[in-house]
Amino acid sequence: MQKRLLILFLFFLILSISAFGATPDFHAMLVEIDKTGNFDTTDFSCVYTIVSEKPGEEPSVTQARMFRRDKTDQFVLLILKPDTQKGQGYLQVDDNVWFYDPESRKFTYSSLKENIQNSDTKNSDLNRNSLAEDYEVANWSETSLGSFPVYLLELEAKHNEVSYPKVKLWIRKDRPMVLKAEEYSLSDRLMRTVYYPKYIQVGDQYLPSQMLFVDNLKPGEKTQVTMRDASVAPLPDSVFTKTFLERVNN
Amino acid sequence: MRDIKMALRNLNRQKKRTFLLGGAIAFGLMIVTLLNGFAGSFIENVGENFSHLMAGHIFLDGVEKLPSGRTVYRIQDEKILIQALEDLQIPYSDISARSEFSGTLIFEGESIRQNITGTDWQKETFFRERLILKEGSFENLSEPQGIILSEDIARRLNVEIGDRMLVQLSTATGQQNVGEFSLAAIIVDPGLFGSISAYANLAYVNELLNLKPDEYVTLGIFLQDMSQIDFWAEKLYLYLQDKVQLFSRETGKEEENPFAAILNQTKEEEWQGTKYRLYTLNDILSEIQEVVQVLNVASLIFLIILFIVIMVGVTNTFRMVMFERIKEIGTMRALGMQRGEVKSLFLLEAFFLALGGALAGLLAAGVVMLILSQIFWGLDSPIFILLKNGYMTFRLSFFQVLLNIVIVLFMTLLAAYFPAKNAAKLEPAVALRTTN
Repeated sequence: MQKRLLILFLFFLILSISAFGATPDFHAMLVEIDKTGNFDTTDFSCVYTIVSEKPGEEPSVTQARMFRRDKTDQFVLLILKPDTQKGQGYLQVDDNVWFYDPESRKFTYSSLKENIQNSDTKNSDLNRNSLAEDYEVANWSETSLGSFPVYLLELEAKHNEVSYPKVKLWIRKDRPMVLKAEEYSLSDRLMRTVYYPKYIQVGDQYLPSQMLFVDNLKPGEKTQVTMRDASVAPLPDSVFTKTFLERVNN
Repeated sequence: MRDIKMALRNLNRQKKRTFLLGGAIAFGLMIVTLLNGFAGSFIENVGENFSHLMAGHIFLDGVEKLPSGRTVYRIQDEKILIQALEDLQIPYSDISARSEFSGTLIFEGESIRQNITGTDWQKETFFRERLILKEGSFENLSEPQGIILSEDIARRLNVEIGDRMLVQLSTATGQQNVGEFSLAAIIVDPGLFGSISAYANLAYVNELLNLKPDEYVTLGIFLQDMSQIDFWAEKLYLYLQDKVQLFSRETGKEEENPFAAILNQTKEEEWQGTKYRLYTLNDILSEIQEVVQVLNVASLIFLIILFIVIMVGVTNTFRMVMFERIKEIGTMRALGMQRGEVKSLFLLEAFFLALGGALAGLLAAGVVMLILSQIFWGLDSPIFILLKNGYMTFRLSFFQVLLNIVIVLFMTLLAAYFPAKNAAKLEPAVALRTTN
């Protein structure tokens, strides 16, 4: 009897140890983070203000209105400021991204990896995420960032077509919110650090309302992005067309 | 014969006037001949200089299309391409293997976008001879991360020999990568082409692009005779057509040359494995060939405008000549000279004036060309791409020269025709009565 009790005790001990030390489901966590930035069932629009700082130069301010329809992979980014670039816009339809210049009234083929208005922000930073699809967790640990207990995940790209082959994420333990990200080159050099100090609720999702991009290759260069007027109200189909970009300039 | 003698004598009688009119004609033709001569050698010199910058006359790129739609440029296995050169016995002097990318060079807060070409310095010895070093040495390239920058780029980045700088780029498959270069040498700024003039070791460029050491992007073939480019490109294309996947060189409505056609196909087509694109220096320079045509047309228009001005002078001069010789014409007519002969006399004068002026113009153009072609403008000249080894060269076609002379003769005769006609119409008695 004692022997049976001992075996039962050991069984529960092993079970509880394994349960205590179990790896959290990081894939599910990444899926949740992707969902945070993705609007598969609603449209999304907001105004981004991008303040870019470079050593020895006056900060440049760019304001852009973003319209997104993730279910059909469409987005429009319309530049509102500065006045010299007012009316310029990016339009994504499927895999094609077009840049519109109101001065020449012409569309040119662009890329999602191009930086917005010479800042450290890329068009893709303001678009949907696909962390779960593109990355796998290579390493993880528990730590804290400021007053938040966080998981520190080291992600490695699953294929060689992802912009950053390695990414480190600091994710809040209590909810799937990224507080900080470090992006590394193929040669394992830190290229960019992104901070997400503020989130706001839009519909039933939390979105970063403030982001700080620090260029680690060019000391002193950083870009702060703030979001306002966020909405998940339906947008007319006509917004995701070349005609829209042309019309708003008339 | 008598009319010819008289015409020549008349020209000789008014030496100053003949010299000025003939000089104007000569000057016009000299300018036009110089322009034609420069345009004639323009394409040849640009082509030769470009071939050295691009390391070849005929080029082959390997292109893969990934399932995501991204295109990757690399030649993974060159054997079949090298075999093709041997089987066809293509007379080549060198072949080059190059990889390149467009990246951002970063040094102490300064950054600049630059095309960087990976070169195998051991094999491409001919290329060293084309680069004029201002500072540093080729020996510094023994360091794998050595780079050669143009003077302008080095100045803008504020780098000196031995300085290490960062480079940010996308790999062949689009991943972000960062590397380090050490400034090995600074070359004399090649003017317009400064932005394509940074050179590094092929092995390191491949590493940055995440290509294997034996892979590269472009195979360049240097033919022994540059005029055979189209012939051998066609032969090579037909040979490779059965052995590998090749992009068509056929041009459509949208594309005017094979290079543009291939670029469009790369974007639009879907394929598996490696597909090769074969293009030539002539395809790339077709835009420049258009510039030469424009230059030739412009010089022709210039010739015509110049001669319209000269024609007005010739017409006025011959009108004056007619009034000056009115008594002489009256005497000759009274002695039995026919109207046609008077007209011929004037026209012969104009003809010899134009011919003499044209020959003098050609001679002057030849002398100027000879002088200009003897001047060494330097390989660091901003116009080096238009020169041949630092010297200006000129090439004239016989047809072009003949056409110019015919235009000069025709226009001068046309200018003299109406005064000649008026002179022929003069009645002998009226002419003899006229007092100047």
